[in-house]
Amino acid sequence: MKWVGCWRAKFLLALHLVAVSAQSELFEEDLTLRPLRDGKLAARFSFTTLLKGATPREPQTLSRDDEAQHYTLFPLALGQLLREHAVTELHLTLNAGKWNYDHWGYPDEPGVGTGAELWVWMGDTVPTSVDERWQGVRHSLAGLFCASLGHLDEQRTTSPALTFQPEGFLPNFTHPHQLRHATLPSEHVCTENLTPFLKLLPCKSLSGIAGLLNPHRLFDADWHGLGVHVRYREGAGVEVRLAFQAVFDPVRYSPDRRRDWSLHSVFDRTIERACPVARSGKVRVELPLDTSYTISPGPADVSDSTATYVVDSGKEALDVAMSWPDEHEFNYPATSQAPPLTDISVRRNLKGTSQAEARLTLELTNNLPVQVSAGYLETMPWHLQFYLHTLQARVDGVSRDDLVRIVSYTQPVPHSRPALLQAVLTLPPRATLQLVMDVSKPFLRYTEHQPDAQRGWDLPPAVVVSFAFGGANGSEALQDAGAEAEAETRGRRPRRMYTPVMLVDLATPDFSMPYNVIIMSCTLIALVFGSVFNLLTRRLVVVRVAGPEHEREREAEQDAAGGSAKKTR
Amino acid sequence: MLTLFRLAFLASCLLYLVQAQAEPVAEFFGRQGSSHTNNWAVLVCSSRYWFNYRHMANALGMYRTVKRLGIPDSNIILMLADDAACNPRNKFPGCVYSSSAKTLDLYGDNIEVDYRGYEVTVENFLRVLTGRVEPSVPRSKRLLTDDRSNVFIYMTGHGGNEFLKFQDSEEISAFDIADAVAQMWEKKRQVYLPSLSAPTDRVLNACTRYNELFFMIDTCQANTMYSKFYSPNVLATGSSVIHENSYSHENDRDIGVAVIDSYTHYVLEYMESINKTSQATMQDLFDTYDPAKIHSHPGVRPDLFPRSLRDTLVTDFFG
Repeated sequence: MKWVGCWRAKFLLALHLVAVSAQSELFEEDLTLRPLRDGKLAARFSFTTLLKGATPREPQTLSRDDEAQHYTLFPLALGQLLREHAVTELHLTLNAGKWNYDHWGYPDEPGVGTGAELWVWMGDTVPTSVDERWQGVRHSLAGLFCASLGHLDEQRTTSPALTFQPEGFLPNFTHPHQLRHATLPSEHVCTENLTPFLKLLPCKSLSGIAGLLNPHRLFDADWHGLGVHVRYREGAGVEVRLAFQAVFDPVRYSPDRRRDWSLHSVFDRTIERACPVARSGKVRVELPLDTSYTISPGPADVSDSTATYVVDSGKEALDVAMSWPDEHEFNYPATSQAPPLTDISVRRNLKGTSQAEARLTLELTNNLPVQVSAGYLETMPWHLQFYLHTLQARVDGVSRDDLVRIVSYTQPVPHSRPALLQAVLTLPPRATLQLVMDVSKPFLRYTEHQPDAQRGWDLPPAVVVSFAFGGANGSEALQDAGAEAEAETRGRRPRRMYTPVMLVDLATPDFSMPYNVIIMSCTLIALVFGSVFNLLTRRLVVVRVAGPEHEREREAEQDAAGGSAKKTR
Repeated sequence: MLTLFRLAFLASCLLYLVQAQAEPVAEFFGRQGSSHTNNWAVLVCSSRYWFNYRHMANALGMYRTVKRLGIPDSNIILMLADDAACNPRNKFPGCVYSSSAKTLDLYGDNIEVDYRGYEVTVENFLRVLTGRVEPSVPRSKRLLTDDRSNVFIYMTGHGGNEFLKFQDSEEISAFDIADAVAQMWEKKRQVYLPSLSAPTDRVLNACTRYNELFFMIDTCQANTMYSKFYSPNVLATGSSVIHENSYSHENDRDIGVAVIDSYTHYVLEYMESINKTSQATMQDLFDTYDPAKIHSHPGVRPDLFPRSLRDTLVTDFFG
């Protein structure tokens, strides 16, 4: 009996070891620092946990109990959330500030729309619909990240599948995957969002690169945003990438307005020790090409104008510092010497002074010498309603409606559904395309106003994706334009760009009016009812009021009557 | 004979030890202490806008005190109607200070705000108290108390005679809070659930949502807000009587607005002397109320509370 029991235990142990090794986890951390030409410093933290061999949950299995999941490094709270709602791909970003594409170029993380943005690819299923699980995902994430994501309800949810393609692989489930996307531009980001973010990391903020995440400095940055990205990589497993991006201004911190920076001057911390469970921890610094600078300590590796440092527990605390010894006070580059750093520049405005209608204008400038095709996405809540037939496109004042092709338009339903406009725009080389459209501002119901109604409503950013370079006559156009154009377009890939959010001022009522109306109508009713009631029921009788002589006579009569009454008793 | 003697000696030793242990044990269980097993806190700042920075500092000061004395984040529901720490107007990003000396940052590095911004509404507050939340509401936003929980409710904002303003657009009245607390108490009943599979009645004991409740409010005419309570085991205190305003304590030149209210400032100052093992009682806390310093007359409502205030520890509610 003992031998049988021992055999069983050994078999179970072997099975467990096989299971553990089959589903092992990998954690890597990375920090990229990029000095920008206007003296600022862009920092991108990326913490990637890969759950090897795992697959997203098939939505058909939601009615049954899930198989047990064992996580060591993979964040448990997030993993449970993903399994509970059978989510294949999830992207959540919480950003604050306006990303200046012209001066800062493309961000390392493309999702830079201000406020909260959540988009999820989920497989469809019959018992619990995608919309129910979408609500569950929103509320669970709201609880996990202390953000008011519960407001991302049907009034802000759309399905722009053309722009938000999955970044990972969508497995072949019984029913196809669906996309749900929502933005909340008025969401604030603060320490309460960073706290649970850090708790999802294996080493928290105690060791490793995450130790640099000092909220007092991060939330002082000119632009900051945190992101959670979950995707399924076929053949590898489920990957969770927690990212934090920020743009700091060393010139502002420096007493003599120099753009020298170090980890200590920017974050007020250094990397003390490496995270023991991280397979690799790297700090990458992009080296400036056109000025003389010094960088300390000496990097482990310099390749392709990027210096790489390895975060190692053996060495002392890592404090990367870069300085420009030949410069004194930093001189901001003149606009003429600072061309835009992106392929296209986008500007979106709302023009008009009326509270009933306005004009939405979008200006796209093509900075390349070749034709660019760009996808334009507007997920506009019903607070601004488009008159699509008034859409006009102009290049240099000349009407060019052929450059706009509307792919899909979903009409907004007031009080319940937002508008979804997806269009393809063709931008001529080195030209500015102007789109103008009339919009109207609807009335809101009395209870739909926000508590600070006079501020207005934030409108979500438009997304522009430049996806095709060179135009319809692809290679011929490139040959004509020359080698310069070819060099420009080689290696370019579709990148999302977000416009800034807009604030729309809708007609706000006088909120004291219900009180005024109730008081006035109650008063009127009381007066009218009271008067009519008195008129109908009150009997008016004439009462003779006697003079002083008659008073004495009456008193004498009363005494006599009183005396006789006493006698009869 | 020797073994008998040894046995008798051992027996007498054992009896002596048992006797020695029995007294402290009996004394421990016989103490007139609170019968709670866990603590919860609901801290509400109901006003929005930068100039109400002091209300957010009030709530955050209470949050820090309650956390320091041992209530974990999972047992605290913090509602802040606006973002003061990361507000673009804040000269000290990520920091909220309650004194112009700026020695203590109330926001810190580790904070969880459960309801923020537009989510702080009268409806959400009453739903949190009564537990009538939608199924999709996550655990961190629920008040998962049971009948052995001591609940501390702290509210601050602008208010008046029997009302408190939420976000400058709606109000909660003293009657609403009193009814919500009554609902929390009301659940103590037995529910009979017959079912087809088990024809005999099943008895389900639904439990109350609090063992004892301590209500503190800092607003103008605050004492009127607790005047309508009618449920047992409720102890209430407020910062000012009817027709009297509560005043802010201190302005800060760098932040530009008032940073703390008088009543909360003096309460927090007293709480700084309390730690987790402190034996200070609620009566000691109420004895420190000084109307001359606070510039208003704080009040206490002990009539619904079963125990004497001299037997109730401050840490019964705060830690």
